[in-house]
Amino acid sequence: MVDRRKTLSWLLRALALGASPAVHIDLAQAQSAQRHKGPLGNRDASPAAPGDHGYGRDPNLLHPHVTWPLTLSAQQKGVVARLADVFLPQIGTSPAASTVGVPDFLDEWISAPYPQQQADRQVILDGLAAMERDAPGPVNGLATAQVEALVARLQSRAVAGQGAAAQFFSRFRNICLVGYYTTLTGVAELGYVGYQPSATFAGPPPEVLARLGV
Amino acid sequence: MAAEPFDVIVVGSGAAGGTAAYALTRAGARVCLLEAGRFYDPRSETPMFERTAVAPLRDAGTPDKPFGFYDATVDGGWVLPEEPFATAPGTEFRWFRARMLGGRTNHWGRVALRYAEHDLKAFSRDGLGADWPFTYAEFSPWYDQAERLVGVFGSNPGLPDQPDSPPGCLQPPPVPRSFERLIMAGGARLRRPVVASHTAVITRPINGRQACFYATPCLRGCSIGANFQSPTVLLPPARATGRLTTVTHAQAYEIELARDGTAKGVHYLDRRTNAHHFIAGRAVLLGASAMESVRMLFNSRSPRFPDGIGAESGWLGRGIMDSTGSNVWGQFPQMEGLPPFNDDGVWLPHVYIPWWAWPEQRAGKLPFTRGYHLELYGGRLEPSADTFDFFDSVSPFSYGARLKQEAQRYYGSFVRLSQRGEMVAREYNTVQIDPILRDAWGIPSLRFDVRWSEQELHQTAHAQQSMAEFIEAAGGKLVAPLPKDPAQAILPPGRIIHEVGGARSGSNPRKSVTDSFGRVWGVPNLYVIDGAVFPSSAHKNPTLTIVAFTLRACNHIQREMRHG
Repeated sequence: MVDRRKTLSWLLRALALGASPAVHIDLAQAQSAQRHKGPLGNRDASPAAPGDHGYGRDPNLLHPHVTWPLTLSAQQKGVVARLADVFLPQIGTSPAASTVGVPDFLDEWISAPYPQQQADRQVILDGLAAMERDAPGPVNGLATAQVEALVARLQSRAVAGQGAAAQFFSRFRNICLVGYYTTLTGVAELGYVGYQPSATFAGPPPEVLARLGV
Repeated sequence: MAAEPFDVIVVGSGAAGGTAAYALTRAGARVCLLEAGRFYDPRSETPMFERTAVAPLRDAGTPDKPFGFYDATVDGGWVLPEEPFATAPGTEFRWFRARMLGGRTNHWGRVALRYAEHDLKAFSRDGLGADWPFTYAEFSPWYDQAERLVGVFGSNPGLPDQPDSPPGCLQPPPVPRSFERLIMAGGARLRRPVVASHTAVITRPINGRQACFYATPCLRGCSIGANFQSPTVLLPPARATGRLTTVTHAQAYEIELARDGTAKGVHYLDRRTNAHHFIAGRAVLLGASAMESVRMLFNSRSPRFPDGIGAESGWLGRGIMDSTGSNVWGQFPQMEGLPPFNDDGVWLPHVYIPWWAWPEQRAGKLPFTRGYHLELYGGRLEPSADTFDFFDSVSPFSYGARLKQEAQRYYGSFVRLSQRGEMVAREYNTVQIDPILRDAWGIPSLRFDVRWSEQELHQTAHAQQSMAEFIEAAGGKLVAPLPKDPAQAILPPGRIIHEVGGARSGSNPRKSVTDSFGRVWGVPNLYVIDGAVFPSSAHKNPTLTIVAFTLRACNHIQREMRHG
């Protein structure tokens, strides 16, 4: 079994160093290879635990689907939705996280049988349990202001350098951001324009070049 | 299968094997192509317009699909449980495999630069490694053919490190994208060149292939054949001759010699059934990927070659190289909050930073003797699982309305500069057969012993500093401070997936494994045509040079066959 805490610390360090996501995979695999160290060196760098439920090395790319069982109960998913909506709330026409499927995506993510997701799984499940303990009552029954206060306390603990709070804040927020801004709604809010075949490529428009000063 | 009378057996269907199948079938030879992976057709299988939003984990890399769910590589990766390899104590090596028709031509950065004369003759400059057994003048006609076959856009700015192509070889490059223009402006301030990349994507139709339509991520593959992949560019015209037989799931493992010392044919097994087969040919070409071809040579033992074919000189498995690689990320305030616009372009680099300090290096003013170039990635890519990787540093602890504002503000404002540098070929960087380890089919596995030297570390320190200078000169800020020790910045050997060497070509049989055509010394009809033959590996992606080397080798084979 992968030592999750160690993997996570490596991942966080890699993030701090500004490494690319591919490097995270390298680190996880390097760690996996470590376990097989023998007198003749590293032998059999076994897979980084794809388990039985991974999508495998040759999935149908034209019909993507999640192959692993999910984790969260309806109650837990409700808690994720309440928290996610504080991290990414509805503002005008910009919807709240829960209305674009962020809780389902978080469940998909932490349930995946891969090293990075397994490391996140522990952080998220521990963090959700800690939030429940910290709340004045079941999170699902709280008023919005009470959930906001809960997140504000989490944030101040994270700022104060409390390791578990900082890890949960960082990973929960990152998963919410990815879950939100990779949807077509999120993509439109960020202003990404693409997947538009064209016979020519004109380059950036003049107003953009003016803004860039080039 | 064994009953078919084949002229040539080709092992591997990627840049080397695909090119050989193309050249030899068109020249009239009956070719049997052995591919370890499955049949793969980019025209029907590429997820061109599938969106990130519907991919598992939003297309994040996993051990099953290291470059994301939609990446073109299937049945591949860094760690294949059925195909383990060993590394020597205290060393690391990454080995990316792609068990599929077309191999690693399906996923690559497609930077396609020519070696210069000084790249081919690096040993003559600094006394390290070995020279190539031909000059640039002898080799350049094959680059001309390779560029026209592969389809490469680029320009001819007349730089010392980047030989100009003759008219008609290169296609027009696309105009630079927003982040590339910023770095170009930074380069102008530093008086360093930032020029059109040479990239294997066509901007004009050629050979029945459609030009790039400036949409969809290139690394997923290309269903319209606008980028270079063996299954769309090389294999269809080979098939059209009626002289190509392709056998998939065929894991070649041993070359059998006839009594007269020539290669008789190849032993392979069907990966699905474990059934063993033998196939005979008048010539055998190894293009299985550098390390796999070396493995096959080692595993072909006989009374004549007790340590494997080509091992007599002691150079088999020596001089293993990769490219050096390191990254520096910049964040650019000018790119924050731009209005929406389409900046996809060809998706792969439009421009790059060629090795500019070549004159200074030649004068002995730098503590390393081999060059590097810099590649640029980033800007307004489709939001993905790694888009927010830097949020803990640029917007720590934010949430709520502010987090949404910051997401919009910072999106598209990051640029990654990547070093790709030359690694010196060292006798001590080796691959050999592990005494114990075997793959799932019982074939002895490889053991790597490869490490960086002071050369690569000095080069990386220089590159890290240079990348920071480019970012700052372009008005950006470093996302994180540079590591003090270049050993922390440099990626492990193998990670850039440019691993070459191990059966180096040369003019002296006592100091090389093959002659200048890739023909194994002592076995006149056995050729190595992939990256294994590289005596040195310039900072330039090896693919174009593999294609050119193979075209030259195939021309030689045709002449040999004509003479019986």
